[in-house]
Order: sequence, then C-alpha cells, then structure tokens
Amino acid sequence: MGEFKVHRVRFFNYVPSGIRCVAYNNQSNRLAVSRTDGTVEIYNLSANYFQEKFFPGHESRATEALCWAKGQRLFSAGLNGEIIEYDLQALNIKYAVDAFGGPIWSMAISPHGSQLLVGCEDGSLKLFQITLDKIQFERNFDRQKSRILSLSWHPSGTHVAAGSIDYISVFDVKSGSAVHKMLVDRQYMSVSKRKCIIWGVAFLSDGTVISVDSAGKVQFWDSATGTLVKNHLIANADVQSIAVSDVSMVPQEDSFVVGTAEGTVFHFQLVSVTSNSSEKQWVRTKPFQHHTHDVRAVAHSPTALISGGTDTHLVIRPLMEKVEVKNYDAALRKITFPHRRLISCSKKRQLLLFQFAHHLELWRLGSTVATGKNGDTLPLSKDADHLLHLKTKGPENIICSCISPCGSWIAYSTTSRFFLYRLNYEHDNISLQRVSKMPAFLRSALQILFSEDSTKLFVASNQGSLHVIRLLEGSFKHLHTFQPQSGTVESMCLLAVSPDGNWLAASGTSAGVHVYNIKHLKLHCTVPSYNFPVTALAIAPNTNNLVIAHSDQQVFEYSIPDKQYTEWSRTIQKQGFHYLWLQRDTPITHISFHPKRPMHILLHDAYMFCIIDKSLPLPNDKTLLYNPLPPTNESDVIRRRTAHAFKISKIYKPLLFMDLLDERTLVAVERPLDDIIAQLPPPIKKKKFGT
Amino acid sequence: MVQLRPRASRVPASAMVDEGQPASEEEEAAEHGLLLGQPSSGAAAEPLEEEDGEGDDEFDDEAPEELTFASAQAEAREEERRVRESVRRDKTLLKEKRKRREELFIEQKKRKLLPDNILEKLTTAGQTNIKKSSGKLKEATLQKKKEEYEKGSVSKNAKEKVQKVQSVGQNKSYWALRLKDQDLRDSRQEAAKAFIQNSLYGPGTNRTTVNKFLSLENKRLPVKKAAAQFLNSAWGTQKKQNAKRFKRRWMVRKMKTSKK
Repeated sequence: MGEFKVHRVRFFNYVPSGIRCVAYNNQSNRLAVSRTDGTVEIYNLSANYFQEKFFPGHESRATEALCWAKGQRLFSAGLNGEIIEYDLQALNIKYAVDAFGGPIWSMAISPHGSQLLVGCEDGSLKLFQITLDKIQFERNFDRQKSRILSLSWHPSGTHVAAGSIDYISVFDVKSGSAVHKMLVDRQYMSVSKRKCIIWGVAFLSDGTVISVDSAGKVQFWDSATGTLVKNHLIANADVQSIAVSDVSMVPQEDSFVVGTAEGTVFHFQLVSVTSNSSEKQWVRTKPFQHHTHDVRAVAHSPTALISGGTDTHLVIRPLMEKVEVKNYDAALRKITFPHRRLISCSKKRQLLLFQFAHHLELWRLGSTVATGKNGDTLPLSKDADHLLHLKTKGPENIICSCISPCGSWIAYSTTSRFFLYRLNYEHDNISLQRVSKMPAFLRSALQILFSEDSTKLFVASNQGSLHVIRLLEGSFKHLHTFQPQSGTVESMCLLAVSPDGNWLAASGTSAGVHVYNIKHLKLHCTVPSYNFPVTALAIAPNTNNLVIAHSDQQVFEYSIPDKQYTEWSRTIQKQGFHYLWLQRDTPITHISFHPKRPMHILLHDAYMFCIIDKSLPLPNDKTLLYNPLPPTNESDVIRRRTAHAFKISKIYKPLLFMDLLDERTLVAVERPLDDIIAQLPPPIKKKKFGT
Repeated sequence: MVQLRPRASRVPASAMVDEGQPASEEEEAAEHGLLLGQPSSGAAAEPLEEEDGEGDDEFDDEAPEELTFASAQAEAREEERRVRESVRRDKTLLKEKRKRREELFIEQKKRKLLPDNILEKLTTAGQTNIKKSSGKLKEATLQKKKEEYEKGSVSKNAKEKVQKVQSVGQNKSYWALRLKDQDLRDSRQEAAKAFIQNSLYGPGTNRTTVNKFLSLENKRLPVKKAAAQFLNSAWGTQKKQNAKRFKRRWMVRKMKTSKK
C-alpha cells in the first residue's frame, strides 16, 4: 500500500439540512426527498439507493409537501405559495404556479393521478387539474377557518380528509363541501392549553381516517359517522408524519408507519384479533429508534419503512416479513451525506475549496516539519489557514464549484448564474477578481472542471451541452460546445479530463459515458451504458484508461485509445468482485491515480479508502478483503501470499474527500457525526433511567 | 460485460414524425422533439431494466442468449437506419439554426436603426432644434426599445415555456414583480415560518438543549468524555467574545479608578 503522510482535515464545517418530506414512487422505485433549504433529491432505490439527481435549493422555497403524479412527474409546494413541477430529465424547474392562497402546507395527488389538491394557510383547499404539460386551477373547496396542514384522498377519489388545527374535516370532492367535522380533543396536553395540530391524516378505503397530532395521539375515525373509533397515545411529543402502504400493493392497507418528534418510528399493522378469526384490528407492532431528532417525514414502500427528519439522516428500514431473500438488501440503510463531491483541491498550492449551500470556503493546508514513524500524529508547525469566505449573491444554493489545480481560478454556479473568479497570491495576501461578462449560454452548470494545466474550463450545462472554455490571464475565450445528441435531453452530471488534456469524459444519470477528443473537438466514443448510474469517473495519466465506478459498486476500466475495456477490467468482471466489496453502503465518489505508480487506482467512499493494485492477484470470496496491515515480523512469503489487489483503509470516516497531494502526501476530509449533531436544532427532552 | 442494446424502438417513431413535420416552425419542432423525447426515453429505460436480470446472469457464466441471423441483421439495419436518421436530423437542425441566426441578424440590424419618423424629424429639424429635442429623442428611443424588449420577452416567453420560472432571462438580470404583493407574501411566509417554529420549538414543547442531549449520551457511555461545549471550539463564540470584551473594559475601568 505504501506509506503516506496524511492531512487529516476536520474543519469542513458542513451540516446537511434536515429532511422535510419524502415521497416514494412505486412504479420507478424512486424516492424523492426534500430538505428544509428547498433542495429536492431523487434516490434510485433499485440502484443501490444512489442519489441520482438533485435540484438545488432556494432560500424562499421552503418545501412543505412533495408528491409524485401519474407518469412520474414530481410536484412540490411550499411556504412561498407556489406549486412547482420539476423536470427530471433536464434537472431544472419546469414551472411554478401561484396557488393564491398564501403559504401551502399540504398537497395530495388524487388516486387516479390526474388531480392535485393543495391546502393553504388561509384555510382554502384548491383543486388543480394536471394536464399534459401544466396544471390548471379547477375550483376551490369550502373554505375552513384555519390552515390546512395535512391532506389525504380516499382511494376511490370521492372524499378527502383534511387535517387542520383542532379538527379534521371530510370533504366531498364532487360538491366541494365539508361533510363531517371531527373535533380532536387536547386532553393529553400539558398544562398550557396549546392547540392540537393535526400533522398528518390518512384515508383508508374502508372509510377510516387515521390522524396524527401534536398531542402524541394516533386516532382512528369513522368518516361515515364522524366519530372516534380508537385512540393510541404513542408519544409525549408530537407525532409528525404518517404514511400508509400504497394502494397498489398487495395486500393493500395492512400497515402504516408514523414518525414522532422523539425520533421514534412506529409500525402499525392490521392483524387478526385471535388466530383464525376474520376480525382484524390495528395494532402497534414495532418501534424503531434510528433518529435522534424529529421525524418530519415517513414513507412506506412495499418492502421498507423510510423515514427522514431534522437529524438529516434518511433511514430505509426493510421489513423482514416482506423481504423474500435474506441477503444484504434486507439491511438497514442510513444515508447522511450527499453522493457527490463538495470539495475540490488544488494540489499545487495545497488548497481545499469547500462548498456550502450559500458560500464557499478556501483553506490552505497546514504543514509540519516533524517526522515520525507509521501511525504517529505529527504536530503542526503551521496551522491551516482560512484564506477566503466567498458568499453568493441571491437566494439560490450553489450547485457545484471547483478550484483549478494551479489554485488561481475558482468557478461556481447557481441555478441562474455562473461565476468565475481569478485569485492572485502575493506572499500572504490573496486578492480576488471576478471575471465579468460571462457569456449568455453559461448560466447554470451541473458540473465544472478545470484541465490539469488550468488552461481550460469544462462546464456541463443543464441543457445537456458541454462547453469548453480557454482561460487566459483574467479573461476567457469560448472554444467549443459539444451539443447533446439530438433526441436526448439528459444532462451530464459527471466530468473527467485526462491529465494530458486530450480527452474529456462525461456521463449523465443513465446513458453511457461519452468520451470527447478535445484536440479535434469531436466525440471520440461512447462507453456502453450499464444498468446502474455512474458515481465517479477519472482518466489515468499516460495510459488514458477511463476508470468508471457504478452505484452497484462495480468498477470498470476502459481504454480510450483502444476503445475497449482493458484486460484487467475483463479479468475482474470474469472473476467478480469480493462479496464484501459489493455490500458496501455508500458509492465511490472520487477516483484518483498515483503519478509514479501506474498500476494503482485510488478511490474512496464515505467509510473506506482503497488502493487497487492491478499487479496483484484479485481476492476471491474466501480471502479476507479488509486485511489489516501485514505484521512486519512475518516472512516475506506469507506476506506475499496474503496480499491481494484491494488495499483498504478504514481509519478515516465519515470520509467526504480524499486525494493525493503529491507522491507521499494524502489529504483526507472527515466530517464526524457528533459535530453535525452539535449544530442541529434542539431535540425533545427524554428521561433516561440512571442519569 | 453488459452490452448496449441499440435503442431501435424509439428512433423510427420520432423520425417518422419528423419527416411529416414541415421544417419551418422550429419551436414546434423543438417541442415535438421534447414531447417525443420523454416517452421514448421512458421506453428506452424499460428494456434496460429488463436487461437487469440478464446482466446478472451473464456473470454466472451462462451461455449468451441465441440470436438468429435474421434478427441480428434486422437489428443492425435498424441501427444503421437510426444513425442515418439522426445524422439527417442533426443536419436539418443545423440548417434551422443558421436560418434562425440570419433572421436574428436582420432583426438586430432593424433594431439598431432609429424609427423612420424620428429620422425624418431629425432631417427636417433645424440645427437649433436638435439640442432641444435630443432629450425627447432619447425618451422616444428608450420607449421604442422598451416596446421592442417587451415584444422580445413575450415571444421568448412563448418560446421558452420551460424557463418561465426563472425569469432571470438570458440577457436580463432582474425580476419584475409588484412590491405590494411581495410584501404581503413575505409577511405571510414569515408568519407561517413563525407558526411552525413556535409549534415545534416554542414554549411547552419540552425541548432540551443539544449540549444536554449529548451529555446524556456521554453519561451512559462506558468511556466518559469531556462535554461537547469544551470539545467544540465553535460553540458559544458570541458569548466568549462578549466575555472577553467585558473583561477588557472592566480592566480598563479598574485601572482608571486605581490611578485616581
């Protein structure tokens, strides 16, 4: 593996924002997640829970509701009073429609998928017709006195339950008038007479309405008579979310899930009262405590409970009774960090650029003069410097950012603007100069990359085109634009350039990787598309081998000059990866190479750092994959016998970024979870015995 | 290795529609392309998903599925046709682009010229008049430009339905909105945010502090650590600064009084 001096960076003060809504789509097996900063992420559950797409957030767009409509169209609504539809192909917002009812608290798509109902701050319920390319306001329901916080359609589409403050109303969709009004009592509350907020409702096909409220109750109502049937008190704090197993599932509506402010998720199931009796009742079966903070959103897929909340984790808990094969897919998944890189590094000047939602930070790494043996922590002779804090203008979040390898250019992009800065270093001083007059076509980028010699800038725009720009001293010149192949609208999200500057590889979310020749400015070849999305790309120096990591943990090596997979790649595909390698949770987010050792590939995910040595034999399923460092006193023969191609280090975690600075130095950026918790909103107080 | 299937099914359909399409209305053509692109890409995704199982099988050293010569030939032909069609389509697109650009140039040229009536006025007006009317003229041109701009933006809106949301257009860096509405909307949004904040974190919600929460965990750990507030230097920076300032002031005051 070789010994390295490692910069262990822990000053990347990144806090992901809390999860507000989750919406599960059964047809495509995808999960949409919205966060409190307005970001919407799409996870592909069949591609190893990979975060395929994301829509950057916006300060004024606090998303309060998220749902899928027929034809896999995604809608969101929020406190700015707008209903937004997202374009999942081009990765931008298709349109926003003002509902004219003040902030929107809730949204529900009708069971047939053709109508959309929103509940507003002013107590109005507005019905929209979903047309082919737009939504059209249809009519208002009877206005209520207070805000509509939750909505649910009856599976037949004839009635709607709406949760408000202190009461639940049942509406008839045809007439738009309230049929029943069911008052929720506040009796389980503490001394202060707080209002009882209905955080969630669910309408079952037998006419039962389930409500969850701020008093910690889960209540079952009969919508025909408007009476309370059953009451479960499950928490001392708010119960904030509810999701019923989908109507399309078989058997339908036999389980639902609720999430509480204490971080507990309860599973309710419809079970027979006694064995072999036909009478069934709802029973609270399983509590899960995977969260520390409020569970603001839950979803129920056919095989799993999905929950997300203020503690920023997305938890996917497969239900053991629904899983047919007890393999690794049945394990709990916890997704905390985004599946893309937020950090870029300038090797020459030893700089790190950190990307936050609304600002960038530039740090110079510390240095040391001390030496030590393997495993020692060396004292710093010079501390890391915070060189620059670059705030964005406007309310939009940063999509991507990059620093050039020479350290003298910084580029970042929001949804509407692209920024390029020139940095000048004079001893300890640093000056920043914005390159003005960016061309009109450079408005929004999904990925930015500088060439190794920092003379070219590659920008993947969200129209699917790739721009090549030559950088001159303080200005730029547009060289070429690679247009997407006609008939495709998919945008590119990953870029890689070869160190000699001749090749550019670009990959979208599903189609294959395209390789462009930069000298002749034309498409060179397309790597055959694979079933799973690409998570990382890199081109090796000298050999120009393209290394591609996919979300199912496969790694391919493709020779660009020969236009075919390399021998090593074929060998490893024939033999297959080690089963433990395939069972890793997080995708590989970065690949790099050692300048002096062409046989090495360096890659990392959130929990391990790996050097693949292509000259060594591949491990089979019987060998130990995660081998500790070989004992030095063993003979050379044994060491050679146990050695295999995968050298894995799990010292640094959660690892957000790792790269080679020079031949003997690595930089690792960690983000300890405790530091994130320390910056989250306060959790609910719980009494623990013995404290 | 998983091989890419030629996406035979989708292209002929779109190509055929394209053939029927007159090449004059570029927006419509583009929209058609978009509309066709979506369902067809869905169709393309399906075979891929089907391949999923196959892909797994291939690793298990199973024989590759048999292909008759006829089907392979048909597939190859389809592929060839697809390539030809896409080349043709690219060409027409390019042609259209050129045409559009030409039109744009002409338009721009027109725009640069002042309107005829003003030009006439200019020539008829005496030398003395020009100074007076220049202000007016500016206004007129401004008006004209504005009109044109509006026209342009309208047509653009029609063209780019998709980008209506981000009204930060390609060559304008501002939004147009009525301030009165915006104020109302902002205040409503603030009220809504305050409501959610109050109902989740307000009085009576039984919240603890993060520090207490972390120390609770620490108490139950077998190995006790220092409290988070001592480990995390980022905490309480404001308080620390205030304390520092207070200390400095206090010392200055003390010194003054002691001198007296």
